Amino acid sequence: MSENTPTIDDLREIADQVWSAYLDPEGVRPFELGEPKQPATAVSASVSLTGAWHGHVVVTCSSEAARHAAAAFLAMGTEEVGDEDITDVMGELANIVGGNVKSMLPPATLVSLPHVVNGASNRFPTTRQICELAGTWLDEPFSISMWQGRDAGVVAA
Amino acid sequence: MHAIVIDDSRAMRLILRRIVGQLGFEVSDAEDGRAALDLLAGMETVPNLALVDWNMPNMNGLEFVTAAREDERLRDMTLVMVTTESEQSHIVRALAAGAHEYVIKPFTSEAMIEKLALLGLVPTGANS
Repeated sequence: MSENTPTIDDLREIADQVWSAYLDPEGVRPFELGEPKQPATAVSASVSLTGAWHGHVVVTCSSEAARHAAAAFLAMGTEEVGDEDITDVMGELANIVGGNVKSMLPPATLVSLPHVVNGASNRFPTTRQICELAGTWLDEPFSISMWQGRDAGVVAA
Repeated sequence: MHAIVIDDSRAMRLILRRIVGQLGFEVSDAEDGRAALDLLAGMETVPNLALVDWNMPNMNGLEFVTAAREDERLRDMTLVMVTTESEQSHIVRALAAGAHEYVIKPFTSEAMIEKLALLGLVPTGANS
């Protein structure tokens, strides 16, 4: 692992900023750290990092947590949230987390547009998970993880 | 007062629309720099403020800022980059290209309003 690789503490700091800004601005619905849990129905959003560092940043949560996230982000009731809202918000969450992670990686690392799928998208061939911030939000599973390419790693920029 | 929000994320456009809308701005939006230039070309009056993401397809935020600064008609529009690109080199490039301010995502409503206030773009008596 490169000494430039973000740690779980870095993910925690980014998550705190995201929750303060968008998901819990009132400070009453915090992200609670805990054991990783596989949600029964999940939504996963990811961005890929390429260039000087190869890997992925993945935000995964239950469908219910994704609905609450969309409602909080877009300032609407959960009953008003549609599939497009969930896709957009989960993609933006991955984009924000990935963008902030990118700033900790070697220069010339690029971040892709977000990709959102239904299901726990934790299958990235030839990668290994290097850290995961797992827990619950509103009693629903929620995690942010980083995956690094096994072969690529850090290359000369 | 009129603002244009330029971001490929619909979710982020809605957040920014809400923040500047609460300040009393009329708000337009576009999903990339090229679409924004096309929209601006058709406007009778140029917005006072553009909130511009960096990473967008077709034309990114830096290219939009550069193009806007080269357009005499858009000269008085205040340009604020709103992006996850937090490296110092990016900030310097954006400011050198003509951006007036730089806001890093994630941001709170308060932080955004504070930046706009520093630019003199928060109307007196606005709901902040």
